[in-house]
Amino acid sequence: MSGQGPQLRELRQQIRVWRRGRADKRLVDALSDAYVAVFATAMLTSMAVSVVLNVRTVAGTCTTTPCTDARAALPWLTGLALVAGALAVAGLFGPMLVSPAVGSWLLSTPVDRTALLRPRLAGTGAVAFALAAVVAAGVSALSGFPVEAIAAYGGCVGAACLLAVGLAAVCQARRLRWLRLLTWVLAAAVWAGLVALALDAVPAAAAATGTGWEVALVVAAVLAVATLVRAYADLARLGRDQLAPGGTLVPGLSGALAGLDFALVYDVLVERRWRARSTVRSVRGRGVGGSALAWREVVRLRRSPGVLVVLFAALVLPYLGDSLGLGRADLLLAAATGFLASLGLFSSLRVLSRTPSLVRCLPLTPAAVRSACLSVPSAVLLVWALATEPALQSAAGLAATDAVPLAVAVGVTAVAAVVRWVSGRPPDYQLPLVTSPMGAVPTSLYVSAARGFDVLVLGSAPLLLAPTSTGAAISIALDGIVLAVLLNRP
Amino acid sequence: MSRKKSPPPRLRVRGLTRRFGDVDVVKGIDLDLKAGAAVALVGRNGAGKSTVLRCVSAADVPTAGTVELDGVKVEERSPLTRRDMAVVMDDMDFFPDLSVVEHLDLFARAHAVPDAEAVVDAVLHEVRLVPQSGQLPGTLSSGQRRRLALASAFVRPRKLLVLDEPEARLDSAGLEWLVERLRREKADGLGILLASHDASLVEAVADSVLDLDQRS
Repeated sequence: MSGQGPQLRELRQQIRVWRRGRADKRLVDALSDAYVAVFATAMLTSMAVSVVLNVRTVAGTCTTTPCTDARAALPWLTGLALVAGALAVAGLFGPMLVSPAVGSWLLSTPVDRTALLRPRLAGTGAVAFALAAVVAAGVSALSGFPVEAIAAYGGCVGAACLLAVGLAAVCQARRLRWLRLLTWVLAAAVWAGLVALALDAVPAAAAATGTGWEVALVVAAVLAVATLVRAYADLARLGRDQLAPGGTLVPGLSGALAGLDFALVYDVLVERRWRARSTVRSVRGRGVGGSALAWREVVRLRRSPGVLVVLFAALVLPYLGDSLGLGRADLLLAAATGFLASLGLFSSLRVLSRTPSLVRCLPLTPAAVRSACLSVPSAVLLVWALATEPALQSAAGLAATDAVPLAVAVGVTAVAAVVRWVSGRPPDYQLPLVTSPMGAVPTSLYVSAARGFDVLVLGSAPLLLAPTSTGAAISIALDGIVLAVLLNRP
Repeated sequence: MSRKKSPPPRLRVRGLTRRFGDVDVVKGIDLDLKAGAAVALVGRNGAGKSTVLRCVSAADVPTAGTVELDGVKVEERSPLTRRDMAVVMDDMDFFPDLSVVEHLDLFARAHAVPDAEAVVDAVLHEVRLVPQSGQLPGTLSSGQRRRLALASAFVRPRKLLVLDEPEARLDSAGLEWLVERLRREKADGLGILLASHDASLVEAVADSVLDLDQRS
């Protein structure tokens, strides 16, 4: 080490030596793993390319206005959505972060933090570029772009996402707050595009064509490089308080994902969101017993209007399904949209499901506690489902007398699916383990991944088979049984 | 003249056994706790103190034995059990989006406490969490979270207090307050069952001590 303080390169070399000393894998094992990884990647990629090419052929034959509009608008919407997604993910994690161990052991030493962070910024940018470029290339292929334009468009969207990561890093270093606003603006633009599609109101001038993307690629690349240069220069500004939160988030999320426990991912994100908010304006309660719990749900909705905004913005999807001619499948789309878009409404039920100690504080049966927590979010979701009624009636060609019961059935199915999802228990490692490429896993691991979607299919099946009042009644009855079982579980 | 039947003890435990695999973590525990009295469970780490408390509060199911509160079998799903027994264990968690005062307010109202606001304000003041009343639990220190957990037991009606190491993470002023508060609870006719490593707390509050080390 130099007399001026430790050099990061020397520390890294030392850490590498220690790690090599503890290596428990031989070169042949590593090569074997690499072979499996390369083979799996090649196989999945060839499958994806095959699907894209087939869909491209089918999409090329569509002649209806909604279909051609959708094909023309798809690249714009995908590009905007990918950039918004890149900004959101970058903002969630930092994008610059260090693991808790690095935060504790290296950031407290006088090492050059810029040297530590520079490779991480490059890696993050490269991942964002590669993922966005691949997805965008696939989408542009569906839109009928020629091969050269596919490459240019993919590169353009990749560069835009790289730019987004650079911007996020600059905002993080300079403690600028407008990144979140920009993310919401882009998301709103995507939503407006979907609304235009649903209303068959896509302006002809907005149609994306396979020309001109080379210029856009050059512009996006220049901007991305300029932003990354700025971001590199700003790395020295980053403090430990800015780097540590993302690093603590990663182990929690990766642990939850390793167990396919998506509800735990939700818990981690909810916890982080409220921790960042720190304080709220307290609102005193109303009512006694179960109604006091229900009143708290009203307070929660007022406190998190974004959850309602997302839910009602998602109304566009069933209408879009109608516009694209999905037919009966629009019933399934509506139920799935209600299920996924309303997860944020049911946070208290989730907390009570994972925390028996809270339920023990309340002088009500567990079923009464869960029902009280469910009342307000369920009512909101049913109102949402009723708002999909015109789309369902049109899409599935329903009689007016059948449309309302079907909309109610869609709402109840969504409620049952959400309750199944939020009240799920983590994978039980006491169960018999089965061999898998990930190692030995409990059988409940796979069940937990399908949780919620199983009830969604169960409740939607009668609607798809018989889109009538009778089908709605059967669906509601099945959902009722599921809800009764879930609410009365010990 | 007929002899008046004496009331059952507030808490009666008979033959409580909890086995994990082949190991009896606790075996054959008998315990009577009268109203207005406190029993302390002491012992080294792993002696089974928390296991006994979890079985008593019906958070865990004993392998054998019975637990009765005022002559009625304790059941986790029974609202009566949860109405009469205030439990503060180490696994207490909170709603991430409700503030300190909102948690207490919710518990008080769920228990139909008359004049809930006044009760909550008084307890909040007592546990010295007034400045943090609008704070969300995720931002509280561990000591403040402990006080909030204890406060949740005091804003609601109760006949029996079950406390697992209530002194944990409290500062010396907090410990003094706790001793004073538990003495008042006893004077008001409550039964207290606590597990503790703090000899001064046990000495100041407990009427009898069950040493789980002596039993193993």
